[in-house]
Amino acid sequence: MKYNGLPWRRLPLRTRVIGAFTLGATVAALVLVVITYGLSRQSMLSQREESSQRQFFANARQVQSSLRAENPDLTQLLESLPSLSGSRSIIRTDDIWTSLSVTPNDLPSELVAVVVEASDARSMRYRLDDQPVLAFGLQLRPGDASSLEQVAYFELVPLAEVENTLESLALILLVGGILTVLVGVGIGLWASGGLLRPLTEISNAATSIAQGRFDTRLEEVRDPDLAALVDSFNDMAAAMESRITRDARFASDVSHELRSPLMTLRTSIEVMQHRREELSDRTKQALDLLNDEVVRFEQLVQDLLDLSRSDSGPMENDLVNIEELVKATLDIAEGHASLEVIGTARGALVMGDKRRLAQVFDNLMRNAEKYGGGATRVIVAPNGGNIEVAVEDAGPGVPPSERSLIFERFTRGATARKRGTGDGAGLGLALVDEHARRHGGSARVEGKSDGGPGARFVITLPRAGRR
Amino acid sequence: MSIRILTIEDDQRIRTAVRFALEDEGWSVLEAETGEHALEYFKSTVPDVVLVDIGLPGVDGFEVCRALRRTSDVPIIMVTARDDTHDVVAGLEAGADDYVTKPIAPKELSARIRALLRRVRSEDTTAAPRSVGDLDIVPDEGVVRKSGNEIHLTKTEFHLLCELSDHLGKVLSREHLLEQVWGYDYFGDGRLVDVHVRRLRTKIETDPAHPRHVVTVRGMGYKLQA
Repeated sequence: MKYNGLPWRRLPLRTRVIGAFTLGATVAALVLVVITYGLSRQSMLSQREESSQRQFFANARQVQSSLRAENPDLTQLLESLPSLSGSRSIIRTDDIWTSLSVTPNDLPSELVAVVVEASDARSMRYRLDDQPVLAFGLQLRPGDASSLEQVAYFELVPLAEVENTLESLALILLVGGILTVLVGVGIGLWASGGLLRPLTEISNAATSIAQGRFDTRLEEVRDPDLAALVDSFNDMAAAMESRITRDARFASDVSHELRSPLMTLRTSIEVMQHRREELSDRTKQALDLLNDEVVRFEQLVQDLLDLSRSDSGPMENDLVNIEELVKATLDIAEGHASLEVIGTARGALVMGDKRRLAQVFDNLMRNAEKYGGGATRVIVAPNGGNIEVAVEDAGPGVPPSERSLIFERFTRGATARKRGTGDGAGLGLALVDEHARRHGGSARVEGKSDGGPGARFVITLPRAGRR
Repeated sequence: MSIRILTIEDDQRIRTAVRFALEDEGWSVLEAETGEHALEYFKSTVPDVVLVDIGLPGVDGFEVCRALRRTSDVPIIMVTARDDTHDVVAGLEAGADDYVTKPIAPKELSARIRALLRRVRSEDTTAAPRSVGDLDIVPDEGVVRKSGNEIHLTKTEFHLLCELSDHLGKVLSREHLLEQVWGYDYFGDGRLVDVHVRRLRTKIETDPAHPRHVVTVRGMGYKLQA
């Protein structure tokens, strides 16, 4: 595997924080354990060594003084020597070894060799029968009356007890070390939680804003590092909210201004239609043109207003029966489309705004009317936890290259543009898409499943009560 | 005597066009340019239906609704250029029976007016008086008594209560109520029902915040119970 840069940097922040704390705790525990163990070991051993040495010298002096006698009973002497924590003594007189419970072979030959040569006391640590042992040796001066030439006194002090204590200590230190590491991991978890909580809060706030709750703000914090972030986030949210409110108010104001003259136009046209018989043929034609344009104008104003509202406005939330809604839309459209409701889609409920959902299907019907010669078939079908409503027509269809563009505002299919009917403003499908998305669903266009000519617009909406 | 409709609208062009259209329906149309004029006018003559524009200068449409409601249960249709929930609900709570959005086609407007007039005229003389808990409803007199005291309801509120009491204990969807009380098809605005239910509750419930009679069934509709 090839790494670019530090692999550490690519880990999630939380993992890195916990990792750092774990590593820190491990190093601290390790250093502490090693130092504590080392120091304890040294002090215990040297303490034992010192006391053993004192005892050794005392014993050696006693042996020395006994040697002044002519024929000392060495065995008795050895028995009389005090034995500190199981120490055992050996006396070497010339080449004869006298001992109680040890044999000369138990002594390391190196020590014997050194002691024989040296004039001062020597000691050596070694293992005897796999037990740690400290051995002392000192050459003694035989008394003048003695016939002996060379006398050496040795003492073996077992260190097993110290070793055992050290082992227990090591075990305790190990457990302590592991606990320290665990505490380190725990603190890491807690700290990373604390460190990431503001980030989680910011992320939640951003999501909430994205879902249209523009008055979402972060709570003030006292931490100077976070305060700057929180302040700038809140400033951004406030600026965005005021801008969106201003835009929405502008759109709403514009639509208000446009709706009043439209009302006069619409009403006057109908008054004229009422007197159609009084008009000449030419005037009738002109009136029809006027009427068509006013209808189109009204639709544009309505779509614009709905889009501006869909950007900002709150949504009604009700349980809507999709089958009933689609049926009612079809009745109003007065087309020739057949309705198929498949399986569990029958009576299926969707949480949403009835008027907006109605607008979605109404726009799809109008779109089919305009560009596809009218809807031929409307299918309501279940799809997992969703309900899909498909509106099919028998028109020229939508080429794959235009399928993602078609839901953008003010886009119309190239084919439609060429026809130059000038009908519609290209806002209908944008509204379909926005409304579907605000209901947690989506809109798409595809070819017909049977490969025949025509377009198939599909709205997917989440089923209520199954989330 | 022909039906008199008062239009309160500050835009003279709209006023004239609406007058032409409504006169074509055979109704006589009275015009008021401001809320003040309308209220002044109302002292001498009571029209059969009032169309009030919300965006009036001076005394606005909401205030006109409230002022009219203090003295009369004349049918009021609010005409608004803004169909945001806020405006619609505020208008209905001010006392309007129905609302239409500019630019409304005259055909639709007259359909709304006719539906309202039907509601006002049709005192249901066949329906039997009924009791629901402490409420006594007498359809042929158009009267409701709560613990013996008469309660004043507008025609729309009264019809809503009658419709609910016709199906005592059954949940009625907003669509059903819109169709039966307002004469709307499937696409009527459910907010009409919600606000009227709220208004009805403030009049007939002992504690409107915790209604005992008119109960909301979430996602389904409303029902009346004793």
